[in-house]
Amino acid sequence: MSLEDRKRELERAQKIIDDVMGMARDAGAEEVAARYGSASFVSLKQRDGEIETLQSSKSRGLSVSLFVDGRYSSNSTSFLEHDALSRFVAESLEMTRRLAPDPNRRLPEPELYGELPDVDLEMFDERGDGDMDARKGRIAALEDAARAGEHVISATAEMTTQDSMSLRVHSNGFRGHNESTTFFLGASVTVRDDDGRRPEDYCWVGARHFADLPPPPEIGAEATRRATQRRGASKAPSARMTLVVENRIASRLLGSLLAPLGGSALQQGRSCFEGMLGEKLGSDLLDVVDDPLIPRGLASRLYDGDGLPATKRSVLTKGVLDRYFINVYYGRKLEMAPTSGSASNLLLTPGERSMDELVGGVERGVLVTSFLGGNANPATGDFSFGVGGFLIEGGQLTQPVSEMNIADNHTELWKRLSAVGNDPYPFSAWRLPTLVFDDVQFSGS
Amino acid sequence: MSNFFEERFGLDDGVYRRVMATALERGGEYCDLYFQQRSSTVLGLEDEEINRAFRSDDLGVGIRVVRGDATGYAFSEDLEEASMHAAARVAAAIASGGQSEPPQKIVSRTHPDLYPVERPWGEVSTVERLPLLGRVNARAAGGDDRISKVRVHLSDSESRVLVVDAEGRKSYDYQPMTTLYVACVARDGERREESYHNIGGRQGLELYTDDKLDHVADEAVRRTLLLFDARRPPAGEMPVVLAAGSSGILLHEAIGHGMEADFNRKGTSIYSDRLGKLIAEPIVSIVDDGTLPASRGAINVDDEGNETQRTVLVENGVLRTYLHDRISARHYGVKPTGNGRRQSFRHVPMPRMRATYMLPGPHDREEIIRSVKQGILAESFTNGQVQIGAGDFTFYIKCGYLIEDGRITAPIKDVNIIGNGPKVLADVTMVADDMVIDEGGWTCGKDGQSVPVSLGMPTVKVGSVTVGGVS
Repeated sequence: MSLEDRKRELERAQKIIDDVMGMARDAGAEEVAARYGSASFVSLKQRDGEIETLQSSKSRGLSVSLFVDGRYSSNSTSFLEHDALSRFVAESLEMTRRLAPDPNRRLPEPELYGELPDVDLEMFDERGDGDMDARKGRIAALEDAARAGEHVISATAEMTTQDSMSLRVHSNGFRGHNESTTFFLGASVTVRDDDGRRPEDYCWVGARHFADLPPPPEIGAEATRRATQRRGASKAPSARMTLVVENRIASRLLGSLLAPLGGSALQQGRSCFEGMLGEKLGSDLLDVVDDPLIPRGLASRLYDGDGLPATKRSVLTKGVLDRYFINVYYGRKLEMAPTSGSASNLLLTPGERSMDELVGGVERGVLVTSFLGGNANPATGDFSFGVGGFLIEGGQLTQPVSEMNIADNHTELWKRLSAVGNDPYPFSAWRLPTLVFDDVQFSGS
Repeated sequence: MSNFFEERFGLDDGVYRRVMATALERGGEYCDLYFQQRSSTVLGLEDEEINRAFRSDDLGVGIRVVRGDATGYAFSEDLEEASMHAAARVAAAIASGGQSEPPQKIVSRTHPDLYPVERPWGEVSTVERLPLLGRVNARAAGGDDRISKVRVHLSDSESRVLVVDAEGRKSYDYQPMTTLYVACVARDGERREESYHNIGGRQGLELYTDDKLDHVADEAVRRTLLLFDARRPPAGEMPVVLAAGSSGILLHEAIGHGMEADFNRKGTSIYSDRLGKLIAEPIVSIVDDGTLPASRGAINVDDEGNETQRTVLVENGVLRTYLHDRISARHYGVKPTGNGRRQSFRHVPMPRMRATYMLPGPHDREEIIRSVKQGILAESFTNGQVQIGAGDFTFYIKCGYLIEDGRITAPIKDVNIIGNGPKVLADVTMVADDMVIDEGGWTCGKDGQSVPVSLGMPTVKVGSVTVGGVS
């Protein structure tokens, strides 16, 4: 989008928000929070030498939180024409007035808004990724590289380019605006196995600036390399062994550790980490920081969902829990200061060694390169996930494994975090390195 | 015959033809217009109060142009003719030739109504919804002294859909949906447990009789308290008995996705090239059915305007039919099976399941349990996933029981099961006569799109699967 278009979009957003706030206040709402967001995207998918899907559109939407007679609702619409908005606000207010009051549902106290950080997050790539012909050339190069493997049955390359903006305004004084670009490139590849199975794998990368992405042929070749390595996978015997989790999928494990740290889980009494602030949940290697202010970060932001200024916060220091994820509403219920209800960019302090070196130090274990299904119980910490990867014997990867599960408990597992790689994965919001855990239960044959 | 979009926005056959002419201006072979208006409401109860509501309104049209296996797609969030032409031009760019002709005549098609409601959700007031949550909360909170928290969500939505295509077909549908979800947290000394239950369907307010409301609450309480007695099962391979009902998740993951024809057209499914082959014991028959009245998986007409049907995936152990959308049906030279579905007007349709279930077999439940020396009975599930090509699939058991020497013994919890689709289907050795379509509100995700589905299953025995327990 040109600078001129972006300026016009912001004016449009401001006008719609002014309009809707006026309607809500006139109809009796004491407080209003409104957020207008719009996004334009282009996406292309190519398979076997031909473009398979071409999509492009622009989407706009408005969400409005209403606070009326001590009652609350949150409402969204894509139908932004004046009369439709007016009906939408009137009906939403009518609905809200029928609910029970909730003294904790108010906008944040204005003093909490403070000053937004004075940081250039570099979220918008002015140069972009070129025109449609350039994109078609790029995705063709990506797919050619992915299709080049000996056993490949089918390769699909995909790209999405998106421009987004949003404007958030609260009736008690907050105003925040952001603009960002996102570029995704990826390939998924299916290969033929000797026994009729058709294993698949993928490589997907994302960045705020197009120039930060790796060259398309590298992405395609990586997807094919990964899928080809899955050939001949089988189950290993059930055992307690070392678990090595590859960097790009470590977020699955960390995400399920963080779920019980949310304000809702704590307030509703369904968190295995209740009352654990300042307690040791993991080994000294478990150092996690939530940093919303990283330039070009996929989850960077200047303010959180409540309009509070974003700040870098430690989550765990040497295994000790430093914070919960508390938004303003649950903060009031729990009588705790808000610390943001959701994680932004998460960083785990890297170690000294590469993944290969870490694997080299494992006598018997599994390098897990994919998770499949599974779930965790935030009330007890128990979890069980399907896994695929490679058996490690005497420091060597000896065979691909599939159809296995791991089972453990989050209150115990992280104390057995015994090594951390030097390789934080750069193409996602959570930049995690390879993680090594001792003595984890695997089930297989 | 007129419809919502024509009454409310003044659309008519002339507009459809003009927009389709633009969509086909570069030589597309086919196009369709998918108009949708959707409103949804969620009321939430927490800490004894119904004090939050979430409402959402959505409107737009998706325009698709097809050339061979390729698709151009764009949507507009307003129904002004100029906006529709702009979207049509974007979608048209998938082709690169001269003008194809739009249909001369557009004909309205009729279909059966599988989900009549007494009143549309849009006419149900907030005040009428509130007592449902109140009743469920009181029943669950009073169900046992150990219940410490209850959360209830009542969701309902109505979607009006109009599909018009280049073959001159026009289909209109009104699609209601509702789900009631109840979660309980229980405390017993230092220990805490949480579980939930939900029911749903394409129904109106009449679904929620007092008996139904009490049942949802009671079941959420039962499932939560059971966990205090539950342990984690041993790790490794063992026989697994799947209880009747939501065990249909096995079919959804182990075979359903692999039978979606887009994967087979691309050769990326483990079931590619297996049509007509014996893949299971003759006692195994599996269908994917869009015609179960009021179920989440019911559709009067699919999202490409094709008739719905009951499609046989496996008949007496033999693989019969893939699940098709328009593109794959054309690719294979067969009729569409009514599986072309999409999340909304912002999304491209693709082959998706509807209600997937196994037909009853010759055994009875007791006989199946008696036949297991050391194994587990899986009773309730939260989620599953599959790798289409390798065939590995998983599902997560929230609770179940150990079976020891042919008898149900201790409860078990929180365990993932992993198997390989064709291997597990070939290993279904017993099928009971007690098939149940699960009442739960299941949602299927594929390629970033969610659609409602149903699952069903009789009690079934699988000879050996890997159980993610602890030793």
